[in-house]
Amino acid sequence: MPFFWSCSHYVCFNLSAASRYWDNSSSMTEETSIAGSGGVLRKRKIGKKKSNNAKKKRKVFQGTGEKVKVDRKMKKLFRKRVKEYNSDDDDDDNAADKSFPNKNQGAYSEKNGYGTRKLGADKLDEESELSEGEDDDENIEVLPTVTKFAEGCRAFRIAFKSIIKKSALDDVLGPILSGQKKLVAQKLAEEESEKKLRGEAKKEKLLIGEKGHIKPSNYLDSHEKFLIGVATKGVVKLFNAVSKAQSAQKGLNPASSKDEKVIKKRRKEAFFTALGKRSASSSDTSAKVVASGEPPSWAPLRDNYMLTSCKLKDWDKMQETPEDEDVGKSSHGSSSDDD
Amino acid sequence: MARFRDKKRKVFVKPIVQKKLGAVDHVTGDKIPKSFVFSRGKLPGPLRQLQMDLRKLMLPFTALNLKEKKRNSLKDFLNVAGPMGVTHFLMLSKTDASPYMKVARTPQGPTLTFKINEYSLASDVAQSQLRPRCPKDLFKNPPLIVLSGFGTGEQHLKLTTIMFQNIFPAIDVNTVKLSSCQRIVLLNYNKDTKLIDFRHYSIRLQPVGVSRRIRKFVQNHQIPDLRNLQDVSDFVTRAGYGSESEVDEEAATVTLVSNLGRTNKASSKSAVRLQEIGPRMTLQLVRVEEGLCTGGVIFSEYGYGAEKKLDKREDSQIEDSDHEEDEDDSDNADEMEEDTENGNDD
Repeated sequence: MPFFWSCSHYVCFNLSAASRYWDNSSSMTEETSIAGSGGVLRKRKIGKKKSNNAKKKRKVFQGTGEKVKVDRKMKKLFRKRVKEYNSDDDDDDNAADKSFPNKNQGAYSEKNGYGTRKLGADKLDEESELSEGEDDDENIEVLPTVTKFAEGCRAFRIAFKSIIKKSALDDVLGPILSGQKKLVAQKLAEEESEKKLRGEAKKEKLLIGEKGHIKPSNYLDSHEKFLIGVATKGVVKLFNAVSKAQSAQKGLNPASSKDEKVIKKRRKEAFFTALGKRSASSSDTSAKVVASGEPPSWAPLRDNYMLTSCKLKDWDKMQETPEDEDVGKSSHGSSSDDD
Repeated sequence: MARFRDKKRKVFVKPIVQKKLGAVDHVTGDKIPKSFVFSRGKLPGPLRQLQMDLRKLMLPFTALNLKEKKRNSLKDFLNVAGPMGVTHFLMLSKTDASPYMKVARTPQGPTLTFKINEYSLASDVAQSQLRPRCPKDLFKNPPLIVLSGFGTGEQHLKLTTIMFQNIFPAIDVNTVKLSSCQRIVLLNYNKDTKLIDFRHYSIRLQPVGVSRRIRKFVQNHQIPDLRNLQDVSDFVTRAGYGSESEVDEEAATVTLVSNLGRTNKASSKSAVRLQEIGPRMTLQLVRVEEGLCTGGVIFSEYGYGAEKKLDKREDSQIEDSDHEEDEDDSDNADEMEEDTENGNDD
């Protein structure tokens, strides 16, 4: 029956098309196999059992081989489906019904030629022209019966185009399927929120670390000036004491008998004062004492070496330090500790 | 023969002689105090910088490259301190409230805990100045120390003064060379706010009575531009403007004993000019303990028991804040590593 024939042929066509494709590819592979004998075998990795081509062949429905009785209704249905598949042809349904059974064979052959010609030219106008030219008796231009591989190709092309057009609008996510889109959007949102949290946590940590850290101002504050003044006074005091002591020493160094007596006297004073009590203004007097005492430079030579015992243990019993300032630390163990 | 055999020419390498820091000061006969500056717990960035600044401050009698590991406890430091003759520890730590600094005397001495209210790093200070000054051997000699405002007579203040006086080696007035006094540390106590200002300055001496141009000329050895002058006397006697910082008061002038460089001659007046270097801190004395981070609390700013200071380390150095003030029956004072549980007061 012609319908059956057509439908089956539809299926068969697919098969044939696929087989043709398959044949082509297989021939190619055969060629390659001839070229490198066993190369095809070697190309396959050990353990790889599938082969793409085999898959393709498997997927194509071979057909049960039974004769299927098709009613008129079924025929209509099939035709409709075919027409839908062949979506961009503007066909006449009615005409197809009538002329279809008669002209099938011829239609197919014409279609064949038409299809091949169609590969070159992609326009609807040409289609209708050709078909019109060929099918004089028929009213319709194109029979929507068979969808060749080429035409399927065309349909696919148009569908693909429409997808691309749509996906060009998606600037962020790109051409992906809608379901995937949602997932990706979710992931991005999650990542952003995570980053924000981490950034905030880092900032907080930094703030805590910087607590108390202040940058000093460029100009000299009044308080700073006051402090510098205090420090300067201290330094001046020390330097004056040093100059006093050392100039006094300078004056008396040469070994003259007169000076020796003076030196002895001073040393005694230093010794006694160091042994016993300490006066209130310790730094000043001690400096004075030192200056007058004029002990030898190296400590063990002095008379009061190791005799003074000022341990830190008795710090609360020590005398008061002067009110204003305490410059440096005078020598001979004013507040040394032997621990 | 060895001469023929060894083809390679051995480069003569002068052995690097590192000046050994004696344990005892030759001049004064006292033991030179040495210090360790380290941190307890992990410190954030600026505080680590502060620790480095403090180490530089304490030079030369401190361990500049002291490496501490997480697992080092106070006991380890104590064990090392003994043979090396280290007398003081400066410990930096941090809580959520603020950073703290502890100054302690080893091996059994008292511990002063200061709360660092504010601090500025040495680099910040240098950035804020127009002409930061750092001569290369600035840190070769120990600094002087000036304490002011501590004379109120309170016990803890006295202890503070003595502690800080002992950290730096003594200065013998007779024999000290003025060129070796290049730095000064100032601690100023403010009675009203109970805050201690900590500053670190570098000392510079400038001859007084010399005009700025001549002084610069002598210092820098730069030949001045005499194109526009008719006579050299113009250069010498020209009245230069005086900057604000050059206002020399009489109080700042000293008479030098010896020559200090080309510009400052002996028996001529020189002015003392200080420029700030180094870290700047505002401290508040919070607690004084008898032992090294343990022992009876001699003084506590906030009253006994109310202070909740937690150390980050889980070691045995958690202070016992339950002791009463002025408690002298310190059995714990002698034991270093007592595991005193810190009872958090509610």
